Amino acid sequence: MTPPEPQHREDNLMDRFDRAGLRRFRARDAVIAVLIGAAILILAAGGSIRRAGNGMRAGIGRDAVLAVGDPAGWLAGRLPVQHAAHVLTNWLSPNLNLTGFVGFTTTTTAAGQSIPPVTPDAFDPSTIGASPPPQQPLRTLLVTGDSMSEPLDQDLAQALVPSGVHVIQDPHIGTGISSTVLVDWGKLSAYQVRHDHPSAVVVFIGANDGYSMPGPDGKLVNCCSVEWATIYAQRVRQMMNTYRQAGAARVYWLTLPTPRDPARAKISLVVNAAIEVAAEPWRDQVRVIDTVPEFTPGNRYRDAMTVNGQPTIVRESDGIHLNDAGSELAAKLVLGDVNRDFTH
Amino acid sequence: MLFPTVQFAIFFPIVLAISWALMSRPSLWKPFIVLASYVFYAAASPVFCLLLAGVTVWNHGAARLIHRSHDDRVRSWICRVAVAGNLLLLGVFKYYSWFAQAVAQVLHSLSLGVPLPLVTIALPVGISFFTFQAISYTVDVKRGLIEPASLIDTTVYLSFFPHLVAGPIVRAREFLPQLASPRDPNRVAVSSGLMLIGMGLVKKVVIADYLGRTVVDPVFAVPQAYHAPDVLLAGYAYAAQIYCDFSGYTDIAIGLALLMGFVFPQNFNSPYRATGFRDFWRRWHMTLSRFLRDFVYIPLGGNRAGRLMTYRNLMITMVLGGLWHGAAWTFVLWGAYHGVGLVTEHALGGRIRLPGWLRWLVTFHLVVLGWVMFRAESLGSTWAFLSRLASPGAATLWTAPVLAAIVVAIGPQLLPARPVQALQDRIGRLRPLVLAPALAVLILFIGATVPSQGVPPFIYFRF
Repeated sequence: MTPPEPQHREDNLMDRFDRAGLRRFRARDAVIAVLIGAAILILAAGGSIRRAGNGMRAGIGRDAVLAVGDPAGWLAGRLPVQHAAHVLTNWLSPNLNLTGFVGFTTTTTAAGQSIPPVTPDAFDPSTIGASPPPQQPLRTLLVTGDSMSEPLDQDLAQALVPSGVHVIQDPHIGTGISSTVLVDWGKLSAYQVRHDHPSAVVVFIGANDGYSMPGPDGKLVNCCSVEWATIYAQRVRQMMNTYRQAGAARVYWLTLPTPRDPARAKISLVVNAAIEVAAEPWRDQVRVIDTVPEFTPGNRYRDAMTVNGQPTIVRESDGIHLNDAGSELAAKLVLGDVNRDFTH
Repeated sequence: MLFPTVQFAIFFPIVLAISWALMSRPSLWKPFIVLASYVFYAAASPVFCLLLAGVTVWNHGAARLIHRSHDDRVRSWICRVAVAGNLLLLGVFKYYSWFAQAVAQVLHSLSLGVPLPLVTIALPVGISFFTFQAISYTVDVKRGLIEPASLIDTTVYLSFFPHLVAGPIVRAREFLPQLASPRDPNRVAVSSGLMLIGMGLVKKVVIADYLGRTVVDPVFAVPQAYHAPDVLLAGYAYAAQIYCDFSGYTDIAIGLALLMGFVFPQNFNSPYRATGFRDFWRRWHMTLSRFLRDFVYIPLGGNRAGRLMTYRNLMITMVLGGLWHGAAWTFVLWGAYHGVGLVTEHALGGRIRLPGWLRWLVTFHLVVLGWVMFRAESLGSTWAFLSRLASPGAATLWTAPVLAAIVVAIGPQLLPARPVQALQDRIGRLRPLVLAPALAVLILFIGATVPSQGVPPFIYFRF
């Protein structure tokens, strides 16, 4: 027999601040101390508060942050403290330096009288029964995008790393093509290509999109009009062109499976249409992997489907992302196309 | 709303100032703090404010009924129903999808069809914490340890924003007495609060997130791409990351509460200093350990019914503790692993005498091994990770900043406790008006380390 359970003394240490005599200040000190700290942060980082607000989705939270951030940014911009703080702390930043890379530009114009040329690049040989180009060895695969690209990137890495493929996982959570506040994907894609020289790029992005974008006249165009889709497709096309590296690389761009929320579903419909349009000039190098028929046939959302004969939940509870099982399925779709183009 | 965000940096000073302005009038302060806490919660999930309110009303009603009844059997039944209601809620939101899929796949393989709808259910942030607090309240009323509180006090207790979404699990008997009278505006641990907030931010943003993105996430995602030295490093790095992430959150929560005049129980006490599993659980997530001890282990019989029953109770407690962290077999395995560790310690009963440093070394590595199970996406991933430890090769991730981050996270826990505590107390006695600018400058440096996509959520938010 083991001895009976000892009576537990209260081991929550609730009196630890009293024992050490640390509850010695006044409430007024707490409020003044916090306000002093807040004032210093406003003077030294007011611009960051405004930027954070601009990066948020429309709503009360954004309005509240901008109510502080706008005047804070204005004030900080007129004093030398912010600049000094930036100089002192910038060396700690983990962000990529994208200075010098070309970002998104708005160059959409209405169709004129001239006929845009059609090039052989516009044809995927497999769709017209032509013989495909010889397979190339796959050396480096870049998997990128927003949170949609996770855990797809892991699944692809787990499948390809054992055959010696260098898989670069480069997700940028919370970013979108329609917003350049967190990152300008025009610049980022150029940086990725110059830095990694991938022989193939897998892109899965669009969960955060739907932001207003500047149109050709500089005015903001709201989602999800034809004008918005045009600007979005132009941005996607710029990225596709960067990633395909003048035909030296293949691009696998996944469309968004329909999300549960009807408002988001509307955005995803437009995003997917824009992806298809953007890829038109380079169908032999840019493969659009349509996830809709697989996960949400007829654009009807579903949590579960049959996978390998088993009923399986394939979506996360947010109704946006694919879960591990869904992501494995998406990886199979990608690998099917990758294996058509490459040896490894 | 996350603590290390601009939204919270705007929210908190306003709430703090109004809170102290109203403190002397509880009839105004309590509704205000409930409103502020629900605004805080609504920023994460507005719909689930109703759930939080429902849990509050349910447990308040149960506690009242228990208190009114003089029949012990009735009191027990009310308590059981109330606890079952809380657990049912937790079960539906946290485990339904996992359970339904497991059942569906078994029955489908027997050609018996799918009996339950396979749907995903969004997990309300903090549900594991506030349901446990609610259970502790109802059970403590039933045990006669506390009197039932008024509805507004119960609401403040369950929704108080510093502990709402990721603990610490504050027991009703620790919190409700603090609501009995207004907090004394002349006895506030301001400097300790500021210091804890600063320490918490450094732990979370500078150390935990850095180790996560540079070592832990890449290696755990594809261990096949790395060799033994990097895989080993990732194991240590995750031990440092999860400690800094969770204890950092706790430090901030305790610091915020201190500035508002409240004290929360301690949640960590140098856990990597432990020299055994039992010692570890007295130092790691102490408020959960106490909950499991008082509401699972002892009610199961504790160690009062012989050796085998003690072992059974330990295993059940630890497996449930593992499952509390999430609906995944990896958490079950992790809980069972710690259960086996505790059982083994009990069984050996100090018969094997090892030098202190060796006991520490063994315990630390066994705990790190447990973290591998905890962090891996699946049982297969756990094995893939561990099997790479037998693959010699280059160390590509052993950089000075990574090693420094691990040493800074774990090293201070191994120092003698008294001087470390003395230093903290000394800082806690500094004048707040001196400490506040220092904290602001520290936040500027911390902010510079945040990547463009922002601060990742705390690991324990998922639980």
